[in-house]
Amino acid sequence: MHASAYEVLASAASGTLSSFWLLIVIPAASGGILLLLGRRADRWGHLLGCASVGVAFVLGLVYFFQLGGLPATDRRATLDLFTFIQVAALKVDFGLLFDPLSAVFVLLITGVGFLIHVYAVGYMADDPKRRTFFAYFNIFVAAMLLLVLGNNYVMLYIGWEGVGLASYLLISFWYTRPSAATAGKKAFIMNRVGDAGLAIAIFVMFANLHTVSYDGVFANVDRFTSGTTLALGLLLLIGACGKSGQFPLQAWLPDAMEGPTPVSALIHAATMVTAGVYLIARSNPIFDANPTAQAVVAAVGAVTLLIGCIIGCAKDDIKRVLAWSTVSQIGYMFLGVGLGGGAYALAIIHLLAHGFFKAGLFLGAGSVMHAMNDQVDIRRFGGLWKYMKITWITFGVGWLAIIGIPPLSGFFSKEPIIAEAFDRPGWAGWVLGFAALLGAGLTAFYMTRLFVLTFHGPERWTDDIKHPHESPPVMTVPLMLLAIGSAAAGALMATPVQDWLNPTVFGVEGGEVPEHVHLSHTVVTILSIAITVLGGLLGWWLFRNGTSLQEQPAGPVVTAARKNLYGDTVNETVFEKPGTYLTRALVYFDNKGIDGLVNGLAAAVGGGSGRLRRAQTGFVRSYALSMLGGALLVAVAFLVVRLG
Amino acid sequence: MNGFTIATPAQVLAIDVRLPDLDYAAMAPMLVLFGAACLGVLVDAFAPRQSRHTIQFALSFIALTVALLAVIREARVGSRELTADVALAIDGPTLFLQGTLAVLGIVALLLVGERALEKGGPFVSQAAIPVGSEADRRQAREEGATEVFPLTLFALSGMMLFVAANDLLTMFVALEVFSLPLYLLCALARRRRLVSQEAALKYFLLGAFASAFFIFGMALLYGFAGTVSFGGIHDAALLATTSPLLLFTGLAMVAVGLLFKIAAVPFHVWTPDVYQGAPTSVTAFMAACTKVAAFGGLLRVLYVAFDRARWDIEPVIGTIAILTMLVGAILAVTQTDIKRLLAYSSIANAGYLLVGALAFSKEGLSSAMFYLAAYGFTVIAAFAVITLVRDDDGEATHLSRWAGLGREAPLVAGVFTFLMLAFAGIPLTSGFTSKFAVFGAALGVGEAWPVALVIVGVVTSMILAFPYLRVVVMMWLSEPAEQSPTVAIPGAFTSAALMVGVLATLLLGVFPSPVLDLADRAAEFIR
Amino acid sequence: MTTADVLMLALGAVAVGAAAAVVTTRQIVRAGLWLVVALGSLAGLYLVLSAELVAWVQVLIYVGAVVVLLLFAVMLTRAPIGVSEDLDRSRWPGLLIGGGAGLGLAALLIDAYQWSTVDLADGAGAEEVGAAIFRSWVLPFEVLSVLLLAALVGAIVISRPDVSARVGR
Repeated sequence: MHASAYEVLASAASGTLSSFWLLIVIPAASGGILLLLGRRADRWGHLLGCASVGVAFVLGLVYFFQLGGLPATDRRATLDLFTFIQVAALKVDFGLLFDPLSAVFVLLITGVGFLIHVYAVGYMADDPKRRTFFAYFNIFVAAMLLLVLGNNYVMLYIGWEGVGLASYLLISFWYTRPSAATAGKKAFIMNRVGDAGLAIAIFVMFANLHTVSYDGVFANVDRFTSGTTLALGLLLLIGACGKSGQFPLQAWLPDAMEGPTPVSALIHAATMVTAGVYLIARSNPIFDANPTAQAVVAAVGAVTLLIGCIIGCAKDDIKRVLAWSTVSQIGYMFLGVGLGGGAYALAIIHLLAHGFFKAGLFLGAGSVMHAMNDQVDIRRFGGLWKYMKITWITFGVGWLAIIGIPPLSGFFSKEPIIAEAFDRPGWAGWVLGFAALLGAGLTAFYMTRLFVLTFHGPERWTDDIKHPHESPPVMTVPLMLLAIGSAAAGALMATPVQDWLNPTVFGVEGGEVPEHVHLSHTVVTILSIAITVLGGLLGWWLFRNGTSLQEQPAGPVVTAARKNLYGDTVNETVFEKPGTYLTRALVYFDNKGIDGLVNGLAAAVGGGSGRLRRAQTGFVRSYALSMLGGALLVAVAFLVVRLG
Repeated sequence: MNGFTIATPAQVLAIDVRLPDLDYAAMAPMLVLFGAACLGVLVDAFAPRQSRHTIQFALSFIALTVALLAVIREARVGSRELTADVALAIDGPTLFLQGTLAVLGIVALLLVGERALEKGGPFVSQAAIPVGSEADRRQAREEGATEVFPLTLFALSGMMLFVAANDLLTMFVALEVFSLPLYLLCALARRRRLVSQEAALKYFLLGAFASAFFIFGMALLYGFAGTVSFGGIHDAALLATTSPLLLFTGLAMVAVGLLFKIAAVPFHVWTPDVYQGAPTSVTAFMAACTKVAAFGGLLRVLYVAFDRARWDIEPVIGTIAILTMLVGAILAVTQTDIKRLLAYSSIANAGYLLVGALAFSKEGLSSAMFYLAAYGFTVIAAFAVITLVRDDDGEATHLSRWAGLGREAPLVAGVFTFLMLAFAGIPLTSGFTSKFAVFGAALGVGEAWPVALVIVGVVTSMILAFPYLRVVVMMWLSEPAEQSPTVAIPGAFTSAALMVGVLATLLLGVFPSPVLDLADRAAEFIR
Repeated sequence: MTTADVLMLALGAVAVGAAAAVVTTRQIVRAGLWLVVALGSLAGLYLVLSAELVAWVQVLIYVGAVVVLLLFAVMLTRAPIGVSEDLDRSRWPGLLIGGGAGLGLAALLIDAYQWSTVDLADGAGAEEVGAAIFRSWVLPFEVLSVLLLAALVGAIVISRPDVSARVGR
């Protein structure tokens, strides 16, 4: 580990790398063109949208190899395009940074983004607003790329807001259910809470160091007091929780993924939610400097992964289960980045693997819905394996990958995180380790339930479905590609990615072998495979013969899980109600001022409604009286400050 | 300039009355506007009725352009001086704010002069005719009063004087010169005349009330310092022989008068009513230019006269800033009328500006000035859009009427969406850069109060984004109402104003550096 | 105690008493008339301080113009002449705020000046006021004329039934 041993490398981009700003500009330009041309671009808009992301992906690969060609110690390239804001001491450049961490995210975003684009060409074929959709989609990709390519926190924030905005548009525009307003609102508010955390964190950095660039902040982490690093860590964590749907801001994510088409659901699952993980991984010097902040991150990850699993077990909506499983898998990533050291890279590996298998699962779910007239209730599926073989197989691969059956990718990415959790010293290691282990078992259970109920058992279809059919190739080809990725990615990526990231980004030497504190790696591996198989078998045993068509009354635990563990209720009582009351009080006071208060009081005392009626809103004398009162208060306040 | 001597006819008494030095070049922007306004009055008296509007508009436009050129010339010369005894300070902030006022004034003038949206323009012809009478129905088709142009010029000249005033007395006179025309302009709406008149009366009464506070504070400060010039008060604060209580009570009273104009809580009560009732082009003018002028004055008072009292000012005005941000943001959420919503948003924005002002540093000053310019363009453009959304009763300002507007008029809805995003402080709009600048400046000081203010600022701007986005969602996602309002095709003037506003909002968001630079170089008061 | 002191105290008492009567009486016309007394005794105070010009300006403008205007307004708007209940709203907040403000200011001034004395040698005679206006304050003074012009224009815009328009039609 390195405490504040952050080295600033001189690294102005040169050669081919000096044009890596194109990565952002190409999708952004394409999005702009699609929006500006309007209906004129309807016929070919989706093609342009796909092509721009495809080109970005190819470029990303070129830059990636370019970067790989450099010696390990100076694998980074910066570009300062122009000075964005300069107010005296504060100077913010429109600057970009391409380093191993950015490179990994660029490939993930453009790669998965490209596949989703292609898939969306088929899926959105009948949608009259397809062009607009691709425009937002492109802007989303551009903002996401800006987020991971900025070389300072303000650039990150700009991308962050852009992603939020684009996702808000995508959620709202393609919301197919009546609860649109609430879901959009929820997503918006929770994201704003996160954004506020991030914004304040940026201002705290500026206040302390007069800089917001990664280099400037990380090189000076040792100048922060421990209180400041803790505050910074927690604020960044709030930001990350908002964007990535982590406890206690998890409620919006499933709503945002459950409602709209699988396509927009997927861009959230595979790309947007990774922004939080990126933020924490990128800020690793800050978290390394404060173990408490790290512990909080790990705890948030552990709590969230359990919440996600538990709720995932109780849901009947295919996309909702996948949505909560996303929440839970991101919990694993947060656990990883919270453990610090070598676990940063593990979290990134899990993120990449998750990108593959979750994309495959979501698209598979879309394919199933396509065949079943947009039915989403897994109680009304069953026996589909006979009718849609490709979907069945690819979904099966994704299922085995996510629950972590060797040698599929989930095993290589999730199991090391569990092992790493056990390596944490003290009781924390036991708690985090067992939480992660329990999560693995639960994941196996609910994903098996999902798989078995959808593809096996008796057919429990609604009456309008006669002959379900496989989806067209434009949808199945991405499915197959993703299945291959889900199967192989873990084994292929695990070591190279660690070697790629650890030395330059996280300052961990390759040869470092963590000390096993509680359980040896072998024991953990055996345990986790065993509990996974156990959970899977239990899921298969219980649901091999299908299930009842309706939700049955159940005990308190299941009811709580069905109600999202009362997350919404808590939000409502803790935040919404007091907020409403505060607002009402303010409105009352604002309309009536002191006069209203006095008259209201007088009416209450005298019991006469006649007096109350006189206190309508907007009398000049009421306004004047509150102004006078205010003036008196100001004068008194000055005197109190002066004398006191 | 040479002094001259007069003598009474009887030669009994010969007092040496020396005119102070007057730098006419530095006063040119104000003098041009005063002169043009007086000319405008003559035009109204003598020009034929049909051509009045054209002449008045051209006259005002030219006058403002000349004033702008005069400001630019003065800025190029680089003059920094006190003139007219010490009544006027011609320095960086004065010139920057006067320039801003001239540009924003031109853009607002375009809205005031627009007649394509409604026959006869947005102003009533004869305000005295009782509402609903036979005569009132007759005058519905008559041309609006053209006196609005000289009144606008009077107001602008007063504002320019206000930001240059270097003593409390001149400042008070300037305050009245720019307020009085505004009271009148508020009363002149063609539609919903009763609401308009009520708004004007409220604004007038409360404005007079606030002026009384100002002048009372001035008296106390005179009692304290023996002078009303800012430099004198600054000096007296150090060598005080009189009770400092006089200073602080006087400061409090003067502050109340200024806080009223910037619409800070609890002196904001008039804002929603007046913003809603006034003709929308006048609201745009007030929201942009009054804010610039009032803040210019407040900044000068705080930075020049009371900078030695900053430790006492910070907690009090800081608390007011926090209240202003909170009340503005939270109450904006509950509004159902778009003009009232923007009124509360303007209140919250006053809070953000106070955050910059309370930094008491060069950066605080420059960022607040930048904020004023950026906000002015955005808010004028926003009100310009509001003038376009109309039904049979004139403008349809109730939010429910805006439902589904995106389908009717995607371009206008798109522009308004962009402006709302700017208000919400989304990056790459001027709303983001300006907020970032003021918060950054406040934190640059590195003390407890500014940090607290910034935290409240960030949190409230997150809250405030909600009502803006709600309007956006309303326009694009809701089903249109039964009889949805039509979006009028903007005339050339409104189009121009909209274009300038939107472009400025975009450019100041993406390439803010030149203007930030300009503000930074200008940010030094002289005493 | 000199004669001037006695006069000061007496006039001050009259001014305060009359002012209290203005806000307590239930008849609007009487309130206006009490205002004449209050403002008049203020003019007397100025006289005692040997500021004749200010005193006469006070009489001319406030007593002569403002109060008369006020009474005209009462008559023209057909406001009730007798006792009107509307003038008597809940008293205690007004008393609290108004009384508090008055007492506070009094305390403030007493604290500020205590027993210090001020020479009246160069008072505010017409000469000095005139010289000051045309020397240091020439700019605000001239701007005031602009203000008056704006007010005139405004008054016409607000109140005129447009003669030319009627003829034109």
